[in-house]
Amino acid sequence: MADIEDTHFETGDSGASATFPMQCSALRKNGFVMLKGRPCKIVEMSTSKTGKHGHAKVHLVGIDIFNGKKYEDICPSTHNMDVPHVKREDYQLTDISDDGYLTLMADNGDLREDLKIPDGDLGSQLRSDFDSGKELLCTVLKSCGEECVIAVKANTALDK
Amino acid sequence: MNNSAIQTLEAAAQMLMAPPNVVSPEQRHQAESVFMEFRSTKNPYELCREILEKSSSDYVLFEAAGLLKVALVREWNLLTKGDISSLREYLLNYLLRTDTPGFLREKLLQTIAIIVKRGSIEDGRERKALLGELEKIILSSPISQQKLACSLILAIMQEYAITVKSADVGLIWEVHFRLKKSFEALDLKRIFRFTVGVLEQIIRSGHRPEGEQALLTKQLLTIVEMVLCWSHVSPLLSKRLIGAFEAIYESDMAPALRLSLNWRDTIMQPELLALFFEIHMYVRSNPDLAGPSLTCLVQLASLSGGVVSNPSPKQQYLENYVNGFLNMMMYIQPIEREMLGISDIYRRLIEFFSAPMIARTPPAFLQNLTSLTCHCIRASVMEELVNSDETVYRESLNKFLHSWSSLVHETNGYSNDTLLNPCIEIFNTYLQCRLAPPDGTRGSEHSDEDIKDELEEDERKLHSNILLTIGAIARKAPAHCSHVLFTLLRDRSKRLESQLHLMHLGKLPVSGGEQLVSLFEDLHWILMITGHFLAIDCTEGEIVMIPSEIIQYSMREDADVDASLRFLVGESTNTDNVDPILKLLGEILRISAWECAALEAGLGNVFSPELSATISWLLKIWANSYIMPQPSLYNEMAPMLEAAFGRSSRGAAWAVARLAARAGASLRHQAAQPAAAHHALQLLTTLAQAHRKQNPLATCEEFLALLQWEAAGCNLSGNLRKELHRAFAITATYAEGEARSRLLSSTAALQEKLFNIINMDSDTEPVRNMLADTIDCFIGVTEGVLEVGTMDEQFMMLIGALEKMPGIIYRYHNYPGVVLPALNLLAKSAKRMLHSVHPQNANKFLEICNTTFEVYMRWNSGKISSIPQDAEEEAYEDICALMEVICSIARSGAASSAGGERCAHGLRLLLPLVTPPLLALPALAQHAYRMLRDLDAAGQLTSLPIEDFNMVITALRVGLTAVSCDVSTLCCDTIVGLSNKVRRLGDDNPYALSLLTLAELLLMLIIKMEIPPDSIPAAGAAIYSLTCVKPALLEGLARQLIEAFAANDPANVPRLEEAFGVLTNGVLFDGLRPHRLRFQDNFDKFLASVHGFLFVK
Repeated sequence: MADIEDTHFETGDSGASATFPMQCSALRKNGFVMLKGRPCKIVEMSTSKTGKHGHAKVHLVGIDIFNGKKYEDICPSTHNMDVPHVKREDYQLTDISDDGYLTLMADNGDLREDLKIPDGDLGSQLRSDFDSGKELLCTVLKSCGEECVIAVKANTALDK
Repeated sequence: MNNSAIQTLEAAAQMLMAPPNVVSPEQRHQAESVFMEFRSTKNPYELCREILEKSSSDYVLFEAAGLLKVALVREWNLLTKGDISSLREYLLNYLLRTDTPGFLREKLLQTIAIIVKRGSIEDGRERKALLGELEKIILSSPISQQKLACSLILAIMQEYAITVKSADVGLIWEVHFRLKKSFEALDLKRIFRFTVGVLEQIIRSGHRPEGEQALLTKQLLTIVEMVLCWSHVSPLLSKRLIGAFEAIYESDMAPALRLSLNWRDTIMQPELLALFFEIHMYVRSNPDLAGPSLTCLVQLASLSGGVVSNPSPKQQYLENYVNGFLNMMMYIQPIEREMLGISDIYRRLIEFFSAPMIARTPPAFLQNLTSLTCHCIRASVMEELVNSDETVYRESLNKFLHSWSSLVHETNGYSNDTLLNPCIEIFNTYLQCRLAPPDGTRGSEHSDEDIKDELEEDERKLHSNILLTIGAIARKAPAHCSHVLFTLLRDRSKRLESQLHLMHLGKLPVSGGEQLVSLFEDLHWILMITGHFLAIDCTEGEIVMIPSEIIQYSMREDADVDASLRFLVGESTNTDNVDPILKLLGEILRISAWECAALEAGLGNVFSPELSATISWLLKIWANSYIMPQPSLYNEMAPMLEAAFGRSSRGAAWAVARLAARAGASLRHQAAQPAAAHHALQLLTTLAQAHRKQNPLATCEEFLALLQWEAAGCNLSGNLRKELHRAFAITATYAEGEARSRLLSSTAALQEKLFNIINMDSDTEPVRNMLADTIDCFIGVTEGVLEVGTMDEQFMMLIGALEKMPGIIYRYHNYPGVVLPALNLLAKSAKRMLHSVHPQNANKFLEICNTTFEVYMRWNSGKISSIPQDAEEEAYEDICALMEVICSIARSGAASSAGGERCAHGLRLLLPLVTPPLLALPALAQHAYRMLRDLDAAGQLTSLPIEDFNMVITALRVGLTAVSCDVSTLCCDTIVGLSNKVRRLGDDNPYALSLLTLAELLLMLIIKMEIPPDSIPAAGAAIYSLTCVKPALLEGLARQLIEAFAANDPANVPRLEEAFGVLTNGVLFDGLRPHRLRFQDNFDKFLASVHGFLFVK
């Protein structure tokens, strides 16, 4: 990784690139990487080489952070890979509109109503938990211009 | 009545065996319950006999045989002697007259064997009679009956062979062991002599062993094999050791043939050995028979014990054996499957007979060993090339080399002169197999194949076992081997130089091609062999010395110091009068320099990372013993080595600088090649660790340059940077004065970097990555702090960073990639430093931990409160790290009162997690219960408020039901610890009352055998110490249990009462050792009897 001064630190909204380059050998398991153009979480990393005296190649297996699809790639360990900027924030769920939009409140009290209820099991669980009156925290993941709720947890902080 | 019962069983069996589309689940369930009920039938002997006679259903027959066995064990004491012996006779007759299928036969044979064993508790007369009967059958009956008799002998031997693990026939271990000893003394030799006699007849008959005859021969051989592999355990050993011994017996590796004096008349007969060699030659073409016959020969090669306590018969035996062996080897050409056995014969002879005895054997013995070793070297290299899973030759080679290792290290065996030529032959053969033509015979490389490159498959480790011995063998002929190695190195280094030069000039394609790969492979092997010739590959643990053969060789050569040093540093290429060891090293350093030059010149994509790793590895093991050797460790030291690398020489600092420069170049240019970078770092760490005081590395400019390079933002991955910081910290630990402060500045720079990242106030992916990497580097620093004397100073360098961790955990709570390293850093620091830093510093650290707990809980209370069903272990790594922190605080004993509060606080936060679902996550469960045990050991649990203590008890209640032996043992250990503390408070104290509630659960788990078998001793200890808290406890529980039985199973009440009587017999619950041990003995007896009649497995 480059020196601190050399790295750009714009946030995703300022029109800067959605990814930044990183040497393949410096990637970490559980970190993020772009595979086949999709932002992925690295679930498996192994090295191999062509012949005994060849140079190392890194074999990456990643899970798309939004839709859970699995992607693989192999790349010489000296090459750079794109790493997506990923942001993870918790919001308090205050309402669900009739057309399926969530009303979410950030830590600072700002409200937003631009995210839909997620598909699949998570969505139905969210709805049933909300309907039964539970206080919920939604974890929102944002990367490469996409944004969606990826986890829901009970808001125990309110109990205190 | 019985007929209808049989019909019901047969119908149920049909139901069970039917395909799923024919019967409904309910029907199947019903059929199952029929058999469940059948299995608990009391007094079932008549019924079983009838089933055996009348039923034709395999399943019913099998169940009946099983029931017979179980019922016999359960009801043994209720049966009369007459009943038992008539049953035995019936079963034997049944087997002799019917052609029973294998599954049924084995079960029934085992039942007979159990009857024989249990019947021999008083004396062995019946067994003796039975053996006589079986011998008669083998001598005169039809062949099928002969085979059956052999099987029964085998079954009986099997029943007597194992003692520790055979608790389920309702006897305690002491009785098992006594029976085994009496069987050994009375009947084992008889069986051996009889069987050998029969085998001799078969061989003398001259018929080829085929068909039925071969099967019978195999069984006879198996009996002999079993006698020779018998574990003759000394009765003086403890049960645990005997258990370990028997575990070996059950594995592939048989124990040595250790016989007492009364075997002399049998085993010392020269004809006996000759007969066994004859048997092997007779059966070797049949793989089924050759296996056991070769095992017999291997076992006979390990004769030891009282029978050969005098040297003269022992020598005589060895002579007979070796003559027989050499005679056999003249007639046979060993085939692949025999190689392992033959190598084992050599290994065992050399291990069990003294070196002078071995040295007196005929020359053909050593010649054979040499040529067989060379054959295996060639064949094992072929084996590698084919890449198959077959490793017969490799394993055989390992065994041969094991023998060689003993031969070359033994001082009173073969003389050096005798070993010289064989050693040269083996060395040459190995080298040839590894080199490409024309020097060697290596096959071509498969260059386009993808191979895995994980570090556990490290080439240098993969071959180290073999190379270690090849190195030792080479040192027996140092003049020859060092000359050959030097010539090869010089030739290859010149070729490498010219190839790289041409590429640099652009006259050769950068792809290099096959020729270059072949050159790399040659160099890789020559360097690996040279490394093992020069030094011992071991950089952890004790101090490794320069091999004495090398020192003596250098002294004998008596070369010119000046010429040698000039060659070493590259001022001259003239090798006249140059010390051979320095000659080798000079050439190695030259190759290393070529590599570095190539890397600097941008040819990094050409040079082999594998070879780079090998060069770093070689220099690492060389530096470990040669640089600044401690004079006090050596009887003699070569003046040349002292002059070149001794404490007062300039050569030591020069060499360290060269090696540091090499490691630096390798890291700079090969950071992305895992093996090369890993070994370069290992080289640095070894240099840092090896010399402690006055380490030239501390002032070495090349090393300090690495410091700056790192601080300026090197391109190493997190893990490598962590290791680099570890090397800095180790060097700083031992350095003094200015050098020390320069080195410590690396930590200061790291801290500044951390502060910068935090102050950046930016929450983006690169920042988080950088943060995680930097925290990892701090972990490296913590791991490098080794000296207690300087710990406070280094701790102060770290505290600034540690103070930031709670803030980081708070801010990045949503990013496990950051939180986990931060928690790990705290856990590592607590573990490595807290025990020896000043109390004031310790208090500061405890404050940090406290804030960390708070901050962590702020975001994760939901995670702690319940574990979802589909939870994955990985998600709980952070909690494991938190538990580590608590454990380390408890173990450190730091600032006991404050530390205690922090532990209690942390524990209170984490205890809600300890619920049954936790047990599904083994690593987390183990962490949690180890934390409880450590806290108990530190005396922290009993000072908790009673409400919290009750939660601990609830957690233990959960842990006791764990399937894992580790967790349940940890719980039992914690209960023992708690009981000892609570006892002092009196049994009506609330803590004691709470703890004692565990007793009933524990006792029930033990009786129902629901506790893992390996935790049983710990569970017994827990019951004892609980009873010490309240002596009436056990009695009360016993009464409760007996009352419960009185309602359901009144027949067993007296036996249960008796068992509890045994348990407390003669035991005082005073917590002292003698009574604790007596209780443990009683407890074993109690379990044997309770499990015997309840049989609730």
